[in-house]
Amino acid sequence: MKSDQIDNLNAEYQQKYGFADPEDYVHKAPKGVNHEVVEMISRYKQEPDWMREFRHQAFDVFERKPMPRWGNNELLDSIDFDDIHYYIRPTDRQATDWEDVPDNIKQTFEKLGIPEAEQKFLAGVTAQYESEVVYHSIREDIEQLGVIFTDMDSGLREHPEIVRKYWGTVIPPDDNKFAALNSAVWSGGSFIYVPPHTKVEIPLQAYFRINAENMGQFERTLIICDEGSEVHYIEGCTAPVYSTNSLHSAVVELIALEGAHIRYTTIQNWSNNIFNLVTKRAHAHRDAVIEWVDGNIGSKLTMKYPAVYLLGERAHGEVLSIAYAGSGQHQDAGAKMIHAAPNTTSRIVSKSISKGEGRTSYRGLVKITKGSTGCKTNVECDALLIGSRSRSDTFPTMEIAEKDVRVEHEARVSKLADEQLFYLQSRGIDPDQARLMIVNGFIEPFVRELPMEYAVELNRLIELEMEGSVG
Amino acid sequence: MAESAVLSVASKPTVSTEMVTALSRTLGEHPGALAWRLRALARYDALTLPNRTEQRWRYTDPLALLPSAEALLRKLTSAASGSGNETAQQAAAEWKRLRDDEPAVLLMPGDGPRLNAAAEAAGVAIAPLWQTDADEELIGRAVPAAAGLFAALNGAAWNAGMTVRIPAGVELDQPLRIVLPAAAVSLPRLLIEVGPQAIATVIEEHCGGAAESRVVSVTELLIRPGARLHHVLVQRWQDGVHGHMTVRGRIERDAHFSSATAAFGGRVSKLDLGGILAGAGAHSELRGVVLGDRRQHFDHHTLHHHLSGNTRSDIDFKVAMAGRSRSTYTGLIRIEPDAPQSEAYQENRNLLLSAGSRADSIPELEILTDEVSCSHGATVAPIDPEQLFYLGSRGLGTDEAIQLIVRGFIASVMDRLPETVQTTVAELVSARLVRVTGGI
Repeated sequence: MKSDQIDNLNAEYQQKYGFADPEDYVHKAPKGVNHEVVEMISRYKQEPDWMREFRHQAFDVFERKPMPRWGNNELLDSIDFDDIHYYIRPTDRQATDWEDVPDNIKQTFEKLGIPEAEQKFLAGVTAQYESEVVYHSIREDIEQLGVIFTDMDSGLREHPEIVRKYWGTVIPPDDNKFAALNSAVWSGGSFIYVPPHTKVEIPLQAYFRINAENMGQFERTLIICDEGSEVHYIEGCTAPVYSTNSLHSAVVELIALEGAHIRYTTIQNWSNNIFNLVTKRAHAHRDAVIEWVDGNIGSKLTMKYPAVYLLGERAHGEVLSIAYAGSGQHQDAGAKMIHAAPNTTSRIVSKSISKGEGRTSYRGLVKITKGSTGCKTNVECDALLIGSRSRSDTFPTMEIAEKDVRVEHEARVSKLADEQLFYLQSRGIDPDQARLMIVNGFIEPFVRELPMEYAVELNRLIELEMEGSVG
Repeated sequence: MAESAVLSVASKPTVSTEMVTALSRTLGEHPGALAWRLRALARYDALTLPNRTEQRWRYTDPLALLPSAEALLRKLTSAASGSGNETAQQAAAEWKRLRDDEPAVLLMPGDGPRLNAAAEAAGVAIAPLWQTDADEELIGRAVPAAAGLFAALNGAAWNAGMTVRIPAGVELDQPLRIVLPAAAVSLPRLLIEVGPQAIATVIEEHCGGAAESRVVSVTELLIRPGARLHHVLVQRWQDGVHGHMTVRGRIERDAHFSSATAAFGGRVSKLDLGGILAGAGAHSELRGVVLGDRRQHFDHHTLHHHLSGNTRSDIDFKVAMAGRSRSTYTGLIRIEPDAPQSEAYQENRNLLLSAGSRADSIPELEILTDEVSCSHGATVAPIDPEQLFYLGSRGLGTDEAIQLIVRGFIASVMDRLPETVQTTVAELVSARLVRVTGGI
C-alpha cells in the first residue's frame, strides 16, 4: 500500500467490479414507468390477478406520494424517474446448472467469485442480473429438510398460498414512495421458507448485479422462518461504473415466528453511480430473534434503515452496521426498533467512516409503546472522520411512552487519533499501515460477526478504500 | 401529538401593516425599528406553519402555542393605546414579592424598568428597545427574524422590549433580574449586550399568566470578546399558559456563556435555546432541569452552533416527568467546516416517575470537519427500584425517597446555578416535588 495509489481507487473498482458487459437482452422495457409498463411486467411474468392488481394499486400510491423531504433532498431530486429502464430480462430461462448460464453473464459472476464461494461454504445461491434471477441452486440436503429457497417469481408461482399470506404484510406499498415503486415494478429477489424447528446450518446467499446503464433494479425478498427455525441469509451487490445513475430500490420483508432466528447480512458495494433506496423490515414474534448485519461501502446515496418490529414478548432485535463514505458518497443509514410487546430487547451498534468529502448519517428510531414494560434498548454510534471536508451526522430519535424500561443512547464522533498514530509509528509502523490498523480496529466488532470469507473480503475492501489516506 | 384538551387556534394569526405601524408609533420607537418590524412581518407572512416532518416540531403542535388573531389584535391595540392594566397589576404584585427579600436589580417591561443604585453607578444602561438608532446594529444578530415563524412573529409585533447594556470591563456583583409576567398575549423581546471583559448574571423569569395566556418571547444575548454571562431562565408560569421562548447567545472570541434553565410551569411550553460559538476560544454551557406533572407538555430544543474553531460546548439536560406529563428534548450540535479543534458534548437524561408520563429524546450531531471531539448520550429510565428499596431500608418513606432520588438526579444542574438564584430555584423544586409525590 503506497500513498501514490490514492488516485487509483476508482480504477481498482473498475477492474474488480466496474466492468460492463455488452447488452444482449431478451427484453428491455423502454425508459419510464406508467400503468402500461406495470401491466407489461405482470403479463410477462404471467402473474395471478391479485398480484397484477397489487402492482397497479401500488403504482397509484407511488404517483401520489411526495418525495421524502428529511434526507439529502439535493441528491433525491436529481433522480429522473423517466430516464430509467424498469425491467430488463437478460436471458430466457433460469439456470440451475452453472454451465447453462449464458457465457457473458457467467464470466461476470465468475469474476465476482460467485460459484467459487458457493462450492466452498454456501447452502444455496441466487444470482440476479438486471431484473431476473439467472442462476439458482440449493444443496439437496437443505432442500430435503423442506426448506424453500427460490427466486421470488418462482416462489409466487410455486408457493402461492405462503406468498399471498405474508406478501406486503410487513411493508405495505403505502409505507413510502420507494416501497410503492418497488411494489409496482418488482422483479426477482429471494423467497425463503424454513419449516418449523429446522436449522439451516450454513448460509444462503444472493448476489445482485446491475449491468445496464440507467437501470432500475427492484428486487423483492420475503423470508419466513416458522416456529423455532433458523436461517442466515447473505446478499452482496455490485454494478459497473457509468457516468449516468442507476436506481436500486429493494423491499425486504422478514417474518420470524415464535422462537425463530433470522440473520440477514448485506455487503453493499454498488458503484458510486447507484442510488440505493431500500426498505428493510422484520416482524419478530414471541421469543424470536432478528439480526441485521449491514455493511454499506458503495453507492452514491444510500438510504436504508433496517427495522425490527418486536411484536411478541421477549423478542430480540439487533442491528450491527458499518458505513463507509468516500468523496461523492452519502451513506444515510441507520436502524429502527419498535418495541410493541413487553420484555423485548434490542441493540444497535453503528460504525461509520467518512473520508475525503464523504458524508455519513446515522438516522434511527427507538420506540417503546405504552404497556411494553420491561423493555431494554441500547444504541451506540461511533463515527470516524478522516479529512477536514468529511462530514458525519447523527439523528437518533427515542420515543418512550412506558415508564418501566431502560433506554440508552450514546454517540461519539472523532478523527483518527493522532496519539494512536504516533504510538504505532514509534513502533516502526508506517503511517498508511497504522491508519489501516486503527480503522480495522474500529470496525472489528462488525467484521467479527461476518462469516470468515466475508470478513476477509470486507477487510480487503477497507484496505482498498483506505489506501493513500495519508497526505 | 397534542391531546385534545390543548386549546389550539385554527391557523396562524394575521398581523397587519397598520397594527405594526400603530404599535411602533405608540411605543415611541426610532423609525428604523418600524422598517425592521415590517421586514419581519413580510417574513412572517411568507412562512408556513412548521410541521411534523421537521424534527424540532415533531411532537408539538405550533398552533397550540400561537395566540388567536382576535386576542393578538386586542393586545396590540391596547398596548398601542397605552393601557396595560393587566400587566401593571401583575407587575406590582411581583415587585412586592421580590422587593422585600431580593437585593437584586429589578427590571420589568411594562412597569417602567428600574435599576438599583449600584448597577446604575457601574454604568449599566437600560432602555425600551430601539428608541435610539444605537440598537440598529445589535437587533437580530442572535435571533434574526428569518429564524422561524415564532421569531418572525415576535420580530414584527413585540409589545414590550428592552435593551440592557453592560459596559466593557464591568463586573456586576448582583444579578440583573428581569421578570416577565404573562398577560393574555405577551410578546416580550430582550436585547442584552455584555461588553468586552464584562462579567454579569442575568435572570430571566417567566411567571404569571392564566389558562388562555399565550407568550412568544425572544431573548438575544450578545457576549462580547472575553465577557462572561451567566444566564438563568426560570419558567414558573401558572397552569394553563402556552408559550414559546427563544433564547440565543452569540459568543465572541474568548467569551463564556453559561446558561441554566429551570422549567416547571405552563400547559404547553417550548423553549428554543442555543449558543452560537462565533469566535475562537468561545465556550458555552447549557444546563437544564425540567420537572413536569399533571398533563404538562414540555418541548426543549438546544442548539450549539460552532462557527469558529477552538471552541467548546457542553450540555447537561435533566428531565423528570410525573403524572401524565410529557417531555420532548431535541438537541443539535453543528460544527461547521471552518471550525476545527472544536469540542462538543451533550447529555440528556430522563427520569419517568409515573406510568402515564413519557419522554422523547433526539440528540443530533452534524459534524462537518474532522479535527473535533464530539459525543452525546441520552437515557430514559424509571427510578431504580433498588435505590428505593435501599432508602426504604434506611427508614425513608416512598415519597421522601423519591424526592431524594430526584434531587440527586438534578444535582449536577442545581449545583452550577449562581448562588443568588439557588434558593429561588430550590424552593420551586421543593414545591413541585411535594406536588409530584402526592400525585404519583
